[in-house]
Amino acid sequence: MSGRPDAGQRLRRLLAVLTWLARVGRAPVSELSERFGIEPHELVADLELAACCGLPPYTPDQLMEILVDEEEVVADLGPELARPRRLTAAEGFALAAAGRAILATPGSDADGALARALPKLEAALGALPEEVGEGGLQVELGDATHLAEVRRATEGRRQLEVRYYSMSSDEETERVIDPLELRSADGHWYLDAFCHRAGGMRRFRVDRLTAVSETGAEIDHDAPAAAAAPFVPGPDATVATVRVDARGMWLVEAVPTLGVTPRRDGGADVELAVASTVWFERLLLRLGPHARVLGPPELVDSGRRAAARLLERYAEETTGVTG
Amino acid sequence: MVDRLERLTNLVLVLLRDGRPRSLREIADEVPGYPPDGEARRQAFERDKRTLREGGIAVSTATVEGPDQIGYSIRPEDFYLPELDLDADEQTALNLAVAAVHLGDPSGRDALWRLGLPAQTGARALADVPALPGLPVLWDALRTRAEVRFTYRGEGRRVAPAALRFHRGWWYLVGLDRDKGAARTFRVDRMTDVPVAGSAGSGTLPEDFEPRSALSEEPWRIGDGEPVDVDILASPEVALLVEQQVPSAVVRERRDDGSAVLRLEVTNVDALRTWLFELGEHVVVLGPAEVRSAVVEWLEATA
Repeated sequence: MSGRPDAGQRLRRLLAVLTWLARVGRAPVSELSERFGIEPHELVADLELAACCGLPPYTPDQLMEILVDEEEVVADLGPELARPRRLTAAEGFALAAAGRAILATPGSDADGALARALPKLEAALGALPEEVGEGGLQVELGDATHLAEVRRATEGRRQLEVRYYSMSSDEETERVIDPLELRSADGHWYLDAFCHRAGGMRRFRVDRLTAVSETGAEIDHDAPAAAAAPFVPGPDATVATVRVDARGMWLVEAVPTLGVTPRRDGGADVELAVASTVWFERLLLRLGPHARVLGPPELVDSGRRAAARLLERYAEETTGVTG
Repeated sequence: MVDRLERLTNLVLVLLRDGRPRSLREIADEVPGYPPDGEARRQAFERDKRTLREGGIAVSTATVEGPDQIGYSIRPEDFYLPELDLDADEQTALNLAVAAVHLGDPSGRDALWRLGLPAQTGARALADVPALPGLPVLWDALRTRAEVRFTYRGEGRRVAPAALRFHRGWWYLVGLDRDKGAARTFRVDRMTDVPVAGSAGSGTLPEDFEPRSALSEEPWRIGDGEPVDVDILASPEVALLVEQQVPSAVVRERRDDGSAVLRLEVTNVDALRTWLFELGEHVVVLGPAEVRSAVVEWLEATA
């Protein structure tokens, strides 16, 4: 448990519980506790306190009618408290953004319940002006040619056969996979799937799938808990140290780092795990003159080598477009 | 000793009671738990008012007769929303959306609480979307047609907002830059201060403003530069991948070996280069000469 919530947080929570109780009349303590993420004893204490609140002269007929026992809460709070309450700007934004995000994701039903709920919500919050329109808030979790198929297969727990371009091995492969968890982060969709070719859990970037089809088989197992864990370097990874200047500092946000030592020029020495040479070379190309590999020795020349190879390609491809 | 939560709860109920502004003296008579002494009482009340405001409950003031002169109330229109009339399916859909999109702060959950739609548990997270302190301000400004001011690339900007957009992992504000007199796109996380919104109506857009001109799908089209048509050659291994990733690209040529020449409209050469290098030796820029040489110079500085 993190520290005891302050009075403001407790008030916010209590008003939320009261709004809900005003709507439903009665609810088991365990259900309320789960719905609002409150320990049962705290919930009971706050509700017992609320049962002593009301209007002057605080005679029983002026107090909120709440009966609490160990199992259940029964309340008769009247229609006013059941009304939805005004949202702060941050809350209104969060709700609209979440709704718009899901609605804009391929595979969502454009006439479904969410599509009907959002305009009602936005109307109540104060709609966007007409000249701004629905385009005023666009939350795109990213698209990919095969995203809708992958989403449907993941939700329907159906096996897929895919063609996948792997950045780390720089090749396209065909694999049978059991899609288990689909997630959007940093502007890309990632699919955690059991890969029958690799014999284990693998993370796929959905926009690197070039073909997707269902095999017809159903999936009867779940993702191991570890699949959702944050980045952990594999046993074969090498730890490299890269010195970046201020303009190369985006590296720290862009890849999982093992250590960052800031430098006086605004840059830093960054330690990161390198599991794939191809991936590391391409990262160094993007950093260009703003990065230098300090070690280990076998990786010191990675960026130089990759740049030299790419320059050769530029020397080969000098012809412009015909036609 | 009255628990502060009890005092706050009674305070809300009393201030909401009949819309009549009450002086602090009346409030202290009606709400148990305030100190008897004038100054301590005032401080306790100010603290409670601040707590309510932080919780999104606005306390209004009005002039009243009597020695205190100022009266306080919570206006029903500041406290309640109109009924939303959501059916059960729609409530569930909103709940699932909030559970699926991780904004990095509890605002979405708090919103559902306030609407009387507390979340069911067990929904799966689908996406991480960063919450930035400027976003609620920008969203409010968009709704009220207010001009926003912020610092960007070391410059103070005045912008009439046209759209907020989350795209490829970043939040963007699209709007009319008042000083430059043109549509511009700004990364919200690169605003070096929290934007400040002006009064409602101060950021009305001209009728002929076309936000689409500043909105773009690809990172290399988000920038201030003049648009340039860039031809790239994609190797057979990645030609299909590139076509799928960049629907706006025009295929100029398909070669017998499976490679393809694609034309992209670029306003941000740095962003283009970053994207190209993700595909290593599989993509090269054919032209125009100035873009090709910018990439070659970068590589020479790296090699």
